[in-house]
This record gives sequence, structure tokens and C-alpha cells, in this order.
Amino acid sequence: MASLVSCPHCGSRPKEEFTVKGAALKRPAPDAGQERWMDYVYLRDNPRGAYDEYWHHTSGCRRWLVVTRDTATHEIAASRDAALDVPETRA
Amino acid sequence: MSEYRLIHRTALSDKQPVDAAGISLTALPEGHVIHVLAEQSADMSATLEGAAAQTHSVRYVAPGQWFIVGDEPLADDAMAALLTRLTPHAAGVDQSHGRVRILARGPMVECVLAKGSGADLALSAFAVGRSTTTLIGHIAAHLTRVEDNAFEIMVLRGFAESLWDDLMRMSAEFAE
Repeated sequence: MASLVSCPHCGSRPKEEFTVKGAALKRPAPDAGQERWMDYVYLRDNPRGAYDEYWHHTSGCRRWLVVTRDTATHEIAASRDAALDVPETRA
Repeated sequence: MSEYRLIHRTALSDKQPVDAAGISLTALPEGHVIHVLAEQSADMSATLEGAAAQTHSVRYVAPGQWFIVGDEPLADDAMAALLTRLTPHAAGVDQSHGRVRILARGPMVECVLAKGSGADLALSAFAVGRSTTTLIGHIAAHLTRVEDNAFEIMVLRGFAESLWDDLMRMSAEFAE
């Protein structure tokens, strides 16, 4: 259940401590062109199944996380620190 | 000059301490609280151990962040010296005026905190000396286990009275 979200720094915590930002996508290069940037800013896949999302542990360690959540069952497969463990999502 | 005399009052000066067999609540002296923010991957262990060896205690907050706390107010020169020791790979921010510490002690302390927080505070998972930030009800608070049966709860000053009242209510069944 997504009502408990595991934080790599704090352990399992209720979802009320977190803020969800949305899909964790690779940011295009600044000169990637208008179409790529339109996709990056506005278009989402909305899959049924595993989905990478940014979650912020707002009332905890205040770190940005990348949480892999199943959109159908809300099961959480993985949770990493966005800056320390998932450098490829950064520009 | 202000037309009024400014009177320094501690945030919880109006509150009666709770002292029961199951749980006691005490407002700790408003000494000093310094928030340390380090560069990513900077090794601060020697600096922090040095601070802990003096009259300070060091509390972990998050990767690269700590609180240095103590019961005694720091004079300007002692504060300046401490902030200088943290440089160049970290910065310290004086939060002494902004954060209030409460000590909750007693055999029922875990039961009291479990009413407000989802963090796992069992002794086996959360040993003496460990710290974490969590929500107690709707208020973000920083918890440190200082003894097997005692937690230090640090909260933003403006929330201190509300949190105290919440803790009183959470303790009521054990404080008769």
C-alpha cells in the first residue's frame, strides 16, 4: 500500500509526510528542441503498473526521492535518493 | 528605540511540566541550536566529534545535515568560533531562537509518541543516539532517543505550544 512509503534515509513512513511531484523523467538537453520539451513538460504515459515518481520527504529528511510505485496495486518496489542514487535524472 | 520594553520569555514558560510514573514532559533550557549544512560528500565526522566532545550534543538530521545543541546559551565569540570551525565544507546557521526542545521521559514514552508519529521508535530499531524528523500529528518535529526511555523532541518555536498541548493530551492516560 502506498500509505506507507519507504524512505532510504528514514525508513517506512506514512504518506502524509511526503509530497508527490510526479513522473521522474530524464530532463532533455537545453537545446533539445521545442517538441522534446513539450513532451517533457506536458505529456505523460499514464501506465498501468510500475511508475517512477519524484516524492519529497517534506516532513522528514526533506530529500527528493525517486519512488517506483505500481499504479494499480500501489505497491512500492524501490525508493532511492534522487540526488545521491539516481544521477541520470539530473540535467 | 522601541516604545516598549522587550521581554525575553521562553516559548513554554506558561506550561506546567508533567511528572508522572508513566511519562514526564519537561521544556529543556533554550540554550543553543545550530543547524549544520555540509557540502555533498564532505566528511564532517572529525569536526562534529570535536563539537560533541565539548559541551555540545550532535543530532543527525538528513544526509549532510546535523543539529549541534546544548543547554547553555552561547556567547557571541563562542558562537563565531564554532561557526568558523565548520567552514569551509559546511555552514552553520544559528537556530537557537527558532527551535525549542522538549524532553519526554518514562516507560510509556514510545506509546505516547506512537499516537502521533508513524516512525518506528522501538528500541531495537531506534537505538539511543539516533535521530529522525517526523510528523507528530500535523507538526514536524525532530526526535532523538537520548536514553532507553527518553526522547528529546525539537520543534519550531512557533509550534512549541501546540505540540506541548498535543503531547499533554497524548500523555493524559499515563499521567494520572
